[in-house]
Amino acid sequence: MTAFLKDIEIQQLAEQHGAPLLVLDCARLQQQYDDLQAALPGVEFFYAVKALPNDAVINTLKQLGAGFDIASSGEIDQVHRQQINPRRTIHTHPIKKDRDIRDALRFGCTTFVVDNIDELKKFRKYRHRVGLLLRVSFRSETAVVDLSRKFGCNPDEALQLIQRAQQMGIHVKGLSFHVGSQSSSADAHVHAIEQCMRIMLQSEVPLSTLDIGGGFPANYDGKTQDINDFCAPIREALSKIPADINIIAEPGRFLVAPAVMSISSVMGKAVRAGTTWYYLDDGVYGSYSGRIFDHATYPIRTLKTGETRSCVLAGPTCDSIDVIAEDIQLPELEIGDLVIGEMMGAYTAATATDFNSLARAKVLVLNEPGQDTLTPALQESLFPQPPELVPATLNTH
Amino acid sequence: MSKIWSETLYDAYGQSFAIDKVYFESKTEHQHLMIFHNAMFGRVMVLDGIVQTTEKDEFIYHEMLTHTPILAHGNAKRVLIIGGGDGGILREVCKHTSIEHVTQVEIDQAVIDMAKEYLPKHSNGAFDDPRANIIIDDGIKFVTETDEKFDIIISDSTDPIGPGEVLFTSTFYDGCKRCLNKDGILVTQNGVAFMQPDEVVTTSKRLAPLFSDTCFYGAAVPTYIGGIMTFAWATNNIQCRMQDVTAIRQRYSAANITTRYYNPDIHIAAFALPQYVIDAINE
Repeated sequence: MTAFLKDIEIQQLAEQHGAPLLVLDCARLQQQYDDLQAALPGVEFFYAVKALPNDAVINTLKQLGAGFDIASSGEIDQVHRQQINPRRTIHTHPIKKDRDIRDALRFGCTTFVVDNIDELKKFRKYRHRVGLLLRVSFRSETAVVDLSRKFGCNPDEALQLIQRAQQMGIHVKGLSFHVGSQSSSADAHVHAIEQCMRIMLQSEVPLSTLDIGGGFPANYDGKTQDINDFCAPIREALSKIPADINIIAEPGRFLVAPAVMSISSVMGKAVRAGTTWYYLDDGVYGSYSGRIFDHATYPIRTLKTGETRSCVLAGPTCDSIDVIAEDIQLPELEIGDLVIGEMMGAYTAATATDFNSLARAKVLVLNEPGQDTLTPALQESLFPQPPELVPATLNTH
Repeated sequence: MSKIWSETLYDAYGQSFAIDKVYFESKTEHQHLMIFHNAMFGRVMVLDGIVQTTEKDEFIYHEMLTHTPILAHGNAKRVLIIGGGDGGILREVCKHTSIEHVTQVEIDQAVIDMAKEYLPKHSNGAFDDPRANIIIDDGIKFVTETDEKFDIIISDSTDPIGPGEVLFTSTFYDGCKRCLNKDGILVTQNGVAFMQPDEVVTTSKRLAPLFSDTCFYGAAVPTYIGGIMTFAWATNNIQCRMQDVTAIRQRYSAANITTRYYNPDIHIAAFALPQYVIDAINE
């Protein structure tokens, strides 16, 4: 669970900066990175920037030695601004425009992902410059977000595609897969690793890299397996792989989810059909967008104690879909009371919208390495109405 | 330990430079330019992850791209430079007292300003030569629209992925043809054929329909890694490259220029191409 701020600190930040807020704790992020590294020794991590495209996250992970998984020209711009070594980036979108490929090459990223013959053909004219990963699809029975339907070639096609690439003079240097997001067991990873190794050993072209993707679960429900235990079967599967094969992964959610807390406030309340509705200043069009796009259920609490009862938490927009939680047990709240969303780093701010022209939650950054104050300066953002980065000072006495 | 800058031209192979000092860095929209000092190559200018020029080995490139066509022509008075914002080509052209006029069309004034300040040895004052007319414009637009004619056109562009892309198109070559005098010669930088044979093949296919004599010549420039850099050559007067070494020696001597790579024997020899280049062109 997140809990990197005491209630009094949460109250303080809300008073100082106003709700809604997202508070990012870089120390928590670092802890997640360390935990994952300990769980998967020898695996090189490329943070999936899409999960939370935040400069402080990128800067923190850069200093920890992470690489970056980028999937668009906008993400390239962002890692470029953070002076990420392009050799430490991989472009992982299986479907690209020519412009995307050129932007990445001009940045200096030369690793790309393909999963079909038409995509492969796009690299014919860049064949002397690039190294490709072939994405293979394996269905996961347990993933919350199944990524193997939209992307990835059938394992049976892999060798043929590698051969086609070779005929075109294009260097395929390895395989990648994504079992999906938030898996409940590592069975799918293990199966995919074994199948990929089978392909890699059969390939006439030497393949140097295996990208095991992401899918490492964040502990939303408090009952999720510890990452070290979750990764035990993966470690076991990887131990059988020849040492000269480079194993990489693209963690996103696992790293950032617990590092961010949402602070919103009650802006209105009403009793409808016998149930109390609380209207918050953040909702599913904002920081809670992952309720819709990411199928995520976040641990929500308040700073109040007392008898709880079932209520509804709704967001600030005019749309009826903007409901964060139905039938949630909370103490009686008053207007102005704070509602805390935990585990809100992954696919939250990243997918927030500007619907109703409502400003997005400000992002406060704590414990960013190398920063004297607790936060970086205001940064240019990719978004038309950027999530504002403001300096936070925290009185921790 | 020094910081290391690694070229990202190729995924599986590359060169790295220890950075002693960064003199200049600018990132404009989708373009990243940096000039730093390296103990072995002096000042190094890199654009979008690729070495553009270094103080140590730039003379090879600039001399070969300039003196070869000028002395092969034998009576060049007017030269057009496309690109070449660092001023290295202009410096070499201005060595020839027989050249009466040089127009340089560079798309970005900032490149010239930056090079004057941080790579001053490249132009060595040539931007102030009274014969030089510096125009800030798109090279392809200039050659398509100008009424002026030139004896020599030198295209000193960046790589085809990036701002220099249009300078590798048929439209550009066609524009060059229309503003070349009768015996005029077009030369262009054309990449390292061993590493990227496509560039030679593509350029060859695009130039062949426009000029009666098209070919390549080469020179090894250490920081353009992977063998010889090729320069494309296009003219309607095949005699230009059929001059024997005696004729070139006479012209070189008459020009009274000092060079460090170029000499008449190199001039003749540069047109001898490795078989892999010839095969690529003829494939």
